[in-house]
Amino acid sequence: MSRVSKIRYFFEQSWLLIVASFIFGLLIAVTNASLDTRIKQNLKNKLNKLMKELISDANEFKIVADQAEIMGDKGKVVRTDIYQAFDANESSVGFAFEAVGAGFADKIKIVIAVDGKFERFFGFKVLSSSETPGFGSKIAEDDPASNEDLVDEFKDAPAGEVKLVRTGKRREDKSEANDDEIIAITGATVSSEAVVRIFNTYTEQVRAKLQEKGLIGNGR
Amino acid sequence: MADEARAGPAVYKETLLAGLWRENPVFRLLLGMCPTLAVTAAVKPALTMGCCVIFVLVCSNVVVSLMRNLLKPHLRILMFTLAISTFVTIADLFLKAFVPRMSETLGPYVPLIIVNCIIICRAEACASKNGLAISIIDAVGMGVGFTLTLCVLAGVRELLSTGKIFEAQVTPDWFVPWAAMSMPVGAFVTLGLLLGLVNVLSKSRS
Repeated sequence: MSRVSKIRYFFEQSWLLIVASFIFGLLIAVTNASLDTRIKQNLKNKLNKLMKELISDANEFKIVADQAEIMGDKGKVVRTDIYQAFDANESSVGFAFEAVGAGFADKIKIVIAVDGKFERFFGFKVLSSSETPGFGSKIAEDDPASNEDLVDEFKDAPAGEVKLVRTGKRREDKSEANDDEIIAITGATVSSEAVVRIFNTYTEQVRAKLQEKGLIGNGR
Repeated sequence: MADEARAGPAVYKETLLAGLWRENPVFRLLLGMCPTLAVTAAVKPALTMGCCVIFVLVCSNVVVSLMRNLLKPHLRILMFTLAISTFVTIADLFLKAFVPRMSETLGPYVPLIIVNCIIICRAEACASKNGLAISIIDAVGMGVGFTLTLCVLAGVRELLSTGKIFEAQVTPDWFVPWAAMSMPVGAFVTLGLLLGLVNVLSKSRS
């Protein structure tokens, strides 16, 4: 078979596939272009809603570190926006940032909020996770009545290195501050470890970024 | 499958009803087990998944039916997958844009429609051999049959695991929810019981 015949044979066999690929690709591109703005806005709205829930006094959020580089837990550089929260009087009331790390099933993406002096965590909210329903998914549950509330374990905990413990006494009075010991959820130890690891990976690096910018004291 | 040459109202009706009972994709053909087990903890996600599958089934059957005379036998599966993945991606983007919370709830199961055997099976068994009308009716019948099955399964599980249907309380106060029904074990047990019930009904009818 000559070279020309081979090329002709190739196009005879695959022209439909080539044409269909272009048409379907174009269809996806058009749909994506028309919906992309809306999808991004949805994600932004969700992030704003969660940050507002974490920092209740916040009236407005401003990005103070755009795409800040953070060394991830697997030695890979990840980028995140760090937001500063302002109240109605335009006073700083806290900071919030997205953080991501490997969970049991897939990546866990959370938003972490810290007070204005970077001394205490306001807590965290789950942006997205695919942890096992009924087990790992409990990391997202914020139920004060529950005896297995990982979210509550971080509220008012010192903004620094936290450590995971299997058993311990949870605070009964919600006005009490939490300590740096985070009690794992029974049946969701891997997911609890993942959240603690995300906190420990991001907290000090974000603190350093904010200190660099002079937004918080350097602790001296 | 109905022959295109004798297609008429009776054939259309037969094709439409086949997906609902005689060839129901879940209860009779045992296809699409992944979403059947994974997204039936509540009725809303099950209904959304069903609507996505109807959309993808109809669109892929239309495309496959239109190009059935141009398909090369050894490339047909590739063409089916190409068409299906396009419409699944579009459905996924629409969910993310207009019902983002539901999109999060369904998670990876929407992109996984690409490998849902019902869709590729209907493309191969029906759309690649029949005209546009039969292909569309077959897709609607199969899609609605799949959706109804998912909703029945999800209805039983949601009712027993939370005492609610569509998030509205329907059980009396004394009812103690069975948490296990929202977990994978609940999906397997409910599916097994419903399959048994369908078999008993089929035998009694025949």
